[in-house]
Amino acid sequence: MEPMGKVLMINYEKCTGCRLCELVCSVMHEGVSNPSRSRIKIMKWESEGLYIPMSCQQCQDAPCIAVCPVKAISRDETLDFLKVDYDICIGCRACVSACPFGAMSFDVIAKKVIKCDLCDGEPQCVRFCEIEALEYVDADRVSVFKKKEAAQRLSLAQKEAAALQAEM
Amino acid sequence: MAIDTEKLSGAESLRKTRTYGKVRCHNPSCMGRLQPRSGDDHVKCPTCGMEYRLVWVRPDFPRIRGPVWDVNRRLAQEVLAKKAAKKEGK
Amino acid sequence: MALNRKIAYIDLSTGKVETKPIPLEVRKKFLGGRGLDAYLLFNHTEKGIDPLGPKNTLMVSAGILTATCASATARTHIMAKSPLTDLLGSANMGGFFAPELAWAGFHHLVIKGKAEKPIYLWIHNGEIELRDASQLWGKTTTETQWAIREELGDEDIKSAVIGPAGENLVRIANVMTGIKNAAGRSGMGAVMGSKNLKAIAVRGTMDIKIAYPLEALEYNKRFIDQIVSAKVNQTQGTLGTPFIWGATNSWGGIRTRNFQYNQCEYADDIEPERIDEICTETMGPYHMTGCFGCQVHCRAQYRIPSGPYAGKYDEGPEYTSQGAFGGEPDCKNAVTVLTGNHLVDQWGMDNLETGSLISWAMELSEEGILTSKDIDGLDLRFGNDEALLEMIRRIAFREGWLGDTLAEGGIRAAEKIGKDSFEYLIQVKGMSNLHSDERATPALALGIATGSRGSDHLRSRPAIDLYHLPEEVLRKIYSNPVPYDGPLSSEHTSYVGKPWQVLWQELCYMGVDCLGICKYHTTFLGATLPNFEDWAKVIYYNTGLEITPTDIWTVAERCYNIERLFNLREGLTRDDPKKGDTLNHRYFDEPCRRGAPDVIGSKIDRKKFKKMIDEYYEHHGWDENGVPREETLKRLGLDKEPSHLL
Repeated sequence: MEPMGKVLMINYEKCTGCRLCELVCSVMHEGVSNPSRSRIKIMKWESEGLYIPMSCQQCQDAPCIAVCPVKAISRDETLDFLKVDYDICIGCRACVSACPFGAMSFDVIAKKVIKCDLCDGEPQCVRFCEIEALEYVDADRVSVFKKKEAAQRLSLAQKEAAALQAEM
Repeated sequence: MAIDTEKLSGAESLRKTRTYGKVRCHNPSCMGRLQPRSGDDHVKCPTCGMEYRLVWVRPDFPRIRGPVWDVNRRLAQEVLAKKAAKKEGK
Repeated sequence: MALNRKIAYIDLSTGKVETKPIPLEVRKKFLGGRGLDAYLLFNHTEKGIDPLGPKNTLMVSAGILTATCASATARTHIMAKSPLTDLLGSANMGGFFAPELAWAGFHHLVIKGKAEKPIYLWIHNGEIELRDASQLWGKTTTETQWAIREELGDEDIKSAVIGPAGENLVRIANVMTGIKNAAGRSGMGAVMGSKNLKAIAVRGTMDIKIAYPLEALEYNKRFIDQIVSAKVNQTQGTLGTPFIWGATNSWGGIRTRNFQYNQCEYADDIEPERIDEICTETMGPYHMTGCFGCQVHCRAQYRIPSGPYAGKYDEGPEYTSQGAFGGEPDCKNAVTVLTGNHLVDQWGMDNLETGSLISWAMELSEEGILTSKDIDGLDLRFGNDEALLEMIRRIAFREGWLGDTLAEGGIRAAEKIGKDSFEYLIQVKGMSNLHSDERATPALALGIATGSRGSDHLRSRPAIDLYHLPEEVLRKIYSNPVPYDGPLSSEHTSYVGKPWQVLWQELCYMGVDCLGICKYHTTFLGATLPNFEDWAKVIYYNTGLEITPTDIWTVAERCYNIERLFNLREGLTRDDPKKGDTLNHRYFDEPCRRGAPDVIGSKIDRKKFKKMIDEYYEHHGWDENGVPREETLKRLGLDKEPSHLL
């Protein structure tokens, strides 16, 4: 069987907005601290207390691959992520415009496009996220976790409904 | 500068002294270790009689939420009265 | 090297801006953050200046580790001569401002003079611009921040701002960033207000170089494990700082009704677990948030559940708000605590100082020292939640005679109120005490009495003294990095060895403040958290600076002595009840009326306290008046100050 690959799973409800993921991402990839060069970024609505980490979804039918005029983006066979071949890339930023998640960024210092490469299979953002807002899981597990959470909510709701009925 | 990464710092080496599952009685001269049963919402100090309401940060990690007001208040007042009587007796 | 960073001098009177690199020699002597600020303050202010005049100098800084690959390097330090105490003004805040300042190209700002009209500073990738702030004047702290983002069209801008209280030169006004991060103490907001400086907005996309990136990353993981594995931090991550209330109120260490009691009885509605319930109800199960790069996430999110401000979003409340708007005024309602916290956050005032001063006024009112005429008809009795909230507003906007009077801070207010109002004021060096009661804990009492910015729990509090740690554990902590073979006692009611613990904690907190990391990441509430030894590694991996734990200790000593020199220059004398290393007489005269059996009846022993102070001075190398001896200054290289290295 072909490897199904692992994916970065984001549980945005858990995110505390600390941005340690942005910091360690830039240190890992660029050897410097600079969140503007991070592959992951937390979007914030501070007046509401809402924080949502955004990163590459490694799309199956990826707009960035489709739009690249020099075919610099391809799927990595072992880790199943989209990688940029910088020897081919011409830095035209077509992929930046095409990405529906804004996950393809442009590093203004290195003058190149940047995106999540899963740190060769050990994503540092996941490693440092103690609260597990970020997890690195087998691709088929994501929906199972969601199913389980939803099922638990359903079960709780049913119990509450039963309790209410008993009171009536 | 060579850093010995194997060597633990003083603070790191103190980690082994950590105890879970216990709380300390809040009476300064007592400070006895109390070990409530998991999930209990009250604990009584067998040494000094103070009683506390508990919360559980995790199933293995209790903390004192606060005193059982009526009990601890009475104990404190009794001690104070004894101290006062002793002073007068001098 | 990686430590190539800049300082900017900004003259608001002339609009002139000058930038310089910070020399390595200065880094080695003062590291950064609070320590370097103290050096700059001593060098850039003259003796006896008016803190609210153009000659006061405002320092805003990041620590030496800020924005590096170390944990929770979020702290901003702010320093100036204090308009509240007329001594050292010094305040520290978390959030996201300091790292953004670093990415914008600066680690230290020295702000002088006074702008003609309201302005704000815009600091962006090495550029500094003075911009008109007339449209921001009058806005609350969050309104100001959002308006700046809109004006400059960048949502990632972080700002340190003042609210209406700072504009109104309220001497307890703070500087704020984000929703609730506050450089609260010693009136730094009033200094900004006096300079017509509404805000400092920063945004940066510049690199902060890391000396050994992969090693720094690995060590950071170990450092974080050490931090998050501590029981205190696991509790803080669940309940926030209010968790401290449980134990403290249980044994009798919470100031209630100003200073009449040491326990807030039957206050179940303001217990941390109750506040946590409200946070869960209003913000869901994942309602904890944190500062930059921190995995402790001690800050709760909430919406006020009911009352006139129902639905308003805020963060906290911290332990300080619980005491300031709960215990001290004896208002035992969670909604009041949450509302009070929101009001001071919005208007930009120190929660601790606000609650303490109002509780003091409540006692003065009870004693008949303040009459109903003085308080403009307000029913200012203990337990009156509405009067408390109204009084917060009157202070922020200087409304009514009492509002305007309390806005002057405790000592000036006592002078205006007269009679024996000063006797009831719970302060050290003009700064109100935290809502904690230290009559049963001599080490904590000594800590607040000697704090360099006045009464304070974040300068030298040996809080782990309360854990009854075995003597060998205490010795392991307190005889490192410099040897100490004097006595130590596990009993927190004892006076033995406490002066050394206070000095050790003082230098430990100076250390974190120079590094720019949070005190919950060091030996403050937990005994197993990192300190000097661990810092030497984290500094090396991140900045390349080779420094030993003992060197860091010496830097901290040097910086603490500079703060002392500043205070002495501005009139500190040992026994001065307004400017000395003293406590309110009630600590010595009134025994605790509540608490655990071994707390009730306790008070501080005057003679033993005096002996502790003597011992503390001796450990510091200060004479019996608390003045650093010449050999001490020589040893620390401070015998020729001011030396104007920067």
